[in-house]
Amino acid sequence: MIPVLVMLLAGLSASTDLFSHLWQTVLPDYIANTLLLGVFVVLLSLVFGVISAALIVHTNIKGKAVLRWLLMLPLAMPAYLVAYLYTDLFDYAGPVQRSLRAWFNWQSPNDYIFFDIRTLGGASIIIALVLFPYIYMLARTAFEQQDQNLLRASRTLGLNAKQSFYKIALPLARPAIAVGASLVLMETLADFATVQYFAVNTLTTAIYDTWLGYGDLATANALASVLMLFILFTLVAEQRARAGQAHQSNRINKTHQIIQLSSSAQFFAGSFCWLLVIAGFILPFLLLINMAWQYSSSEQFWTLVPTGINSIKVAVWAASLTTILALIFVLFKRLDKSRWRTLPVQISGFGYAIPGTVLAMAMMSTFAPIDYFINDVAKFLGLTQPGLLLSGSIFAIIFAYLVRFAAIANGAIDSGIKQIPKSLDFAPASLGAGLTKTLTKVHLPLLKSSIWVAWLLVFVEAMKELPAVLLLRPFNFETLSTQIYQLISDEMLEQGALGAILIVLLGLLPIIWLNRNNSDGKKQTTKELA
Amino acid sequence: MTDLLTITELSVELQSKQILSDICLNLPTGDILGLVGPSGCGKTTLLNTLAGFIEQDKGQIHIDGNSTISPEYIIPPEHRNIGMIFQDYALFPHLTVEQNICFGIDKLTATEQQERLTQLLALLELKSFEKRFPHQLSGGQQQRVAIARALAPQPKLLLLDEPFSNIDARLRNELMLEMRNLLKKLNITAIFVTHNKDEVFTFADKMAVMHQGQLLQIASPDKVCQQPNSWQVADFLQLGSWLPISLKSNNRYQSALGDVDFPDSAQHNQMQLLLKPQFIKLCSSAESNVRVDNISVTEQGYHYLLSSLNDSKALAFDNLSFYANELFVIGEQLALEIKEHDFIAFTS
Repeated sequence: MIPVLVMLLAGLSASTDLFSHLWQTVLPDYIANTLLLGVFVVLLSLVFGVISAALIVHTNIKGKAVLRWLLMLPLAMPAYLVAYLYTDLFDYAGPVQRSLRAWFNWQSPNDYIFFDIRTLGGASIIIALVLFPYIYMLARTAFEQQDQNLLRASRTLGLNAKQSFYKIALPLARPAIAVGASLVLMETLADFATVQYFAVNTLTTAIYDTWLGYGDLATANALASVLMLFILFTLVAEQRARAGQAHQSNRINKTHQIIQLSSSAQFFAGSFCWLLVIAGFILPFLLLINMAWQYSSSEQFWTLVPTGINSIKVAVWAASLTTILALIFVLFKRLDKSRWRTLPVQISGFGYAIPGTVLAMAMMSTFAPIDYFINDVAKFLGLTQPGLLLSGSIFAIIFAYLVRFAAIANGAIDSGIKQIPKSLDFAPASLGAGLTKTLTKVHLPLLKSSIWVAWLLVFVEAMKELPAVLLLRPFNFETLSTQIYQLISDEMLEQGALGAILIVLLGLLPIIWLNRNNSDGKKQTTKELA
Repeated sequence: MTDLLTITELSVELQSKQILSDICLNLPTGDILGLVGPSGCGKTTLLNTLAGFIEQDKGQIHIDGNSTISPEYIIPPEHRNIGMIFQDYALFPHLTVEQNICFGIDKLTATEQQERLTQLLALLELKSFEKRFPHQLSGGQQQRVAIARALAPQPKLLLLDEPFSNIDARLRNELMLEMRNLLKKLNITAIFVTHNKDEVFTFADKMAVMHQGQLLQIASPDKVCQQPNSWQVADFLQLGSWLPISLKSNNRYQSALGDVDFPDSAQHNQMQLLLKPQFIKLCSSAESNVRVDNISVTEQGYHYLLSSLNDSKALAFDNLSFYANELFVIGEQLALEIKEHDFIAFTS
């Protein structure tokens, strides 16, 4: 939290010249692009997510059992990868347009109209394709958890199944859908690589450019502050949506009345869901495998190893530290009696909303002065100067991960501890066991699977995270994601296809794991904020 | 009086398990039927089948004025004109009291809606609550909103699923009487499900006892209690204790508490005599025949659970209920005899 405040302060004192220059030239465009991107992505994700969730829960479409979890898979796909792969596929020189030209004998782009994927619209579609599962997941859980007696009551009052869905089920799921939509918005605002690749200028790309291009830390900070303001608005909206979720009945009838669709409607509904799965996961994944198959060689594999080790090293550190901290915070919240017991969980939870670029700027503006100070002290004492101890090492990266992913670990462990009855906090004491024994013999064993889930989620997110590493990494330090990003920028993903597959496969792990836990209807979302 | 509801040979199978088999039932207009039975006997399924949430596999349901519902002709719930009050009331949490009540009558004109709303608010004493949300109301108020909502479309038949189980025992009786008066005033036919027979006595005109998917007996509550038609009915309603009897000679049976004369045309060798506590008395002259196993204090005096001293396996019993004002001690031996009355016995 502190680094963000420092950044906001630094942002305020930004050289007003450059800032006003920016304001007169490109900044309004950047802001407009950012907002448009946000609106488009959220709208598209709502269409994808809510419709698919409603179809899965409330209708008789075929293959529901499989689609139910297949629809979560796009989450494992980093948007920038899909962006690259689809550009390859749909661009002027790509196989789709080539075959179209061959079939219809078109000679030039003037002969036909084909959508241009490298636009704001294209970016929105691609980001929505990989982010809609947040809305799908939350909406589906909400529909599944709803008291079906409410729908029955509506039927006895003269509404048919479809009308009951629109008048009862949908309004009741609105808070959950709003939470999903704000998660999507936060992720969209944080996106860097996709828009960068499509050359759509948004605030995140602007931050990156001002810092790495013009070396102007203060202005970058100012831009980051503007972005942070948007995030704060989303965050407030999200918290309010959560507050609205409180009133739901606890004695619940879950026998669902299924809306019977005609066979043609079933076909369309089924195709809609399958199309989402194919476009969001199966197709890009096949393209990746194909790429790896065609271009991979053993020497390429060996160049992957050191970056892979770097990635894993950073991710393991981040996952372990975040999980341990989350465990301490959550246990403190549960067992401490003071008024402030929920504070650590809440505060550390906000980090998730901070885009990686913003976070990186914050780290830089906080740690760099500390580093200078340390070096000055060392010089004064006549010792060898340690260099950029904090801001220029993997310490900064791990710290950034810690801030950014604390909410995920908190959420996973918190929902685990909520399954433990309160009486188990007191029972050990009544049997003469102290706090240490209570924790080691009761809570930790019971939390084992939640701790594992927390660790896994953070690990995977850390493997995927790009913008923060890009800005904070020490010289010549490459992780899988930065390497893939470089290769994408150089239009040479072929070289990194194997690494990309590895990231996607790792991303699948928690989805499969959570789905296993979810099958008995237990609610656990990948990114449940504290 | 015409029958509002006629059910013939209704059967329902769920997941290849027979839940209801051959239910037959008529209900005259304006009558309130209490449906009782052990949990899992199918009473809620019967309610859900009537409402249209479960499809029948066999038999017909006819509601006066509607077409007959059969497996070939299923009418969806929204067209059955049946109101339902759910155990947890199922009030729509995102709508106000007013919006909840008007939910089912939104096809009426605004003035008609307003008229009916005002009438129901007055009837159920909900005035000044119409702008509130369900979670801002007490349990009793929520129930009244649920009633108002179900009554607003003026259903022909009202179904109530354990309507009183969530209400505090002290309020329950009052609410039951209030609701009964209301239903009578509006001449509404109703079926309600409960596992508490006392609720049936207070609330219903007729009582139906179900067991394993079958309707065992349907009659007025006092008739069912006076003349249960099967061992299951008497046992579920806990009308008394069971005393084993065995045939001694023509129409004469012996028991651990002496002989009884019981005209049984079938002349079964072994039967269970239904023995209500008021038909047992102490007798000082005879030899002891029971032992005190358990004592509890009740408003009707001390309640004893007794077991027989008789060695004969066929006639031995325990858990015989007996009330007395005198205090005995556990293990004490007593002599009891059966008062002469209309004996009821079943082969269990």
